[in-house]
Amino acid sequence: MSVLEARNVSIRFGGVQAAREVSIAVGEWEIVGIIGPNGAGKTTTFNMITGFYTPNTGSIWYRGKDVTGLSVDERAALGMGRTFQNVGLVKGATVRQNLLTAQYLDAGYGLVPGTIGSPASFSVERRLNQRAEELAERLGLADLLDTQVAGLPYGTLKRVEIATVLATDPDVLLLDEPSSGMGPEEAHQLGDTLLDLRREFGLSIAMIEHHVPLVVRVCDYVYCLNFGEMLAEGLPEEVRNHPEVVTAYLGEDADPAAAALEGQLESLVEGS
Amino acid sequence: MATTIDRPVTEPEPEPEQGRQGDRPFRPSPLGWLARAVLALALAWLVFVFPLSQEGFEVQRFTTAVIYGIIGLSLNVLLGYVGQISLGHQAFVGIGAFTSAYMVSVQNQPFWVAVAAAAAVGGLQALVLGGASLRITGLYFALVTLSYGLVAEQNIFQVEELTGGGQGQAAPKPAGFETDWRYYYLCLAFLALVLWVDWRLMRSKGGRALLALQENPRVAATFGVNVRMLTLFAFVVSGVFAGLGGALLAHNDTFVSPEVWSFNLALVFVIMTVVGGLRNRAGVVIGSAFFALLPYLIDQIGFIEDAVAAIPAPRELTAELAPLVLGPLLLILTLVRAPGGIGQQIRPIQRWLGGHRFDLHDHGPKEVKVADVRA
Repeated sequence: MSVLEARNVSIRFGGVQAAREVSIAVGEWEIVGIIGPNGAGKTTTFNMITGFYTPNTGSIWYRGKDVTGLSVDERAALGMGRTFQNVGLVKGATVRQNLLTAQYLDAGYGLVPGTIGSPASFSVERRLNQRAEELAERLGLADLLDTQVAGLPYGTLKRVEIATVLATDPDVLLLDEPSSGMGPEEAHQLGDTLLDLRREFGLSIAMIEHHVPLVVRVCDYVYCLNFGEMLAEGLPEEVRNHPEVVTAYLGEDADPAAAALEGQLESLVEGS
Repeated sequence: MATTIDRPVTEPEPEPEQGRQGDRPFRPSPLGWLARAVLALALAWLVFVFPLSQEGFEVQRFTTAVIYGIIGLSLNVLLGYVGQISLGHQAFVGIGAFTSAYMVSVQNQPFWVAVAAAAAVGGLQALVLGGASLRITGLYFALVTLSYGLVAEQNIFQVEELTGGGQGQAAPKPAGFETDWRYYYLCLAFLALVLWVDWRLMRSKGGRALLALQENPRVAATFGVNVRMLTLFAFVVSGVFAGLGGALLAHNDTFVSPEVWSFNLALVFVIMTVVGGLRNRAGVVIGSAFFALLPYLIDQIGFIEDAVAAIPAPRELTAELAPLVLGPLLLILTLVRAPGGIGQQIRPIQRWLGGHRFDLHDHGPKEVKVADVRA
């Protein structure tokens, strides 16, 4: 049984069919990649899965339960953790505060006991703080705990975001372009991190990613979207070499020389 | 032809250590501690002893200043934590005042029950307005609160059974706190309680989620925050503070009349909170107390009154108007020069009192403007 499944979801914004009959499944412990050119409907699909948009048709399933009607926070409570393209963090707060905020659901006390300062809330706060420190340590952010998020370099922000989404204690991670803003080496490291995190935290991961070497290395299965429709799916190598995928990325009558150059660049990046 | 490029293999760089200058943390010298103790004692004297050296009528003004601190903290929850402006806060406070007076004078309930009722009613009416704020925000919500304030002033506060109509309602001081100075201490205790709640709010999950919500609702939702419930909760907290402040204000004057709850008052409340410094407890309390004490301060500085008296036309220009004249000026200064208000200005002193080095340019974490995440 899949952990997370989008079954034939479609959504239309005015005259734009942003997604048409898209089906995606994430199995237990799988890392699933979603690729596609800009505007292909990747983030839109994520938004339907996490509950920001309600699909016009189709449904979202989480561990055999139809969650199509649930709100974003209800789905978060079920175990969906998500990151954003342009970094979903509270920028005015410190790294520590972000890690604490993300543990909202794990803080066992209610709003009122927390606000009047019940003794239980104090001990829970200590526990949350300890976990924040552990997670920061795990992702190499221990020195930045009390630094304000705004002003950190982009690559670091992406790591902070992953620490934060782990703090929500997720079951499934939905990562929107985790390697954007990272150089090839940082991206390579990110791949290692993701593989390690999957083992340590028992995660299933779906990620939107443009960095093809990363996708090929870590993903178990890949979907390729184009113009809101599923173009191809399969094992990473298959999808990468799929003729339609190549066309979608490089254009209909791509200059063979340019294609060759692209291939060379890619192998160069991969070799690093 | 394949060319290989030699790339230096770089280890991940250790993150630069932030804000640590020496290995040894700064410790004040004994003389430094003495200076800090002297300042702390002077502040304590100003709050706990000085007002009692005043005439009875003046003690009431200081009590009002303390209660304004509570009202400022109430508005701070809306303006600072939720990010919604209320131009009808005089009605929030006024409803608390009338509820308490009604409970004591008409229902013959003891003071404590009346205050609890005022806080509850304050919370309830805030809940209703909070519901409106889920639908409309910004300028339009400000309009809703503005009209709510006007309706309260013109209609709700004129209902004779509840408010005594034009004559107003008596609100005697509670048993055991009949003298002005005892009541002053009682209000200080209530302010301490409100400060405690505000502190715990911001140090627990609710406050953190509110800040996340204000900056980025989508991110807050992915953290599992129920946006609607949390917003309503914040409104209730603000309303409870306001109701409590109103009740204390009523018993301080021992009388509530409908006409004092005018729009002017709402303006003063907003200005004092912003000038005090949003999201800064000490700043808000100081700003609020300052505006409450303005007429007193002007009385103390005799030449201002003489100067005003020398202006021929506006006879009715009284010290009561001072907050409305000085307020906007301070508001502009705050918004342009120091968005963190008084709280930002006094931060070096606060840090110094806490045993840190005196750093005039320490304005704390900077405010950041961010766009919502793409989703």
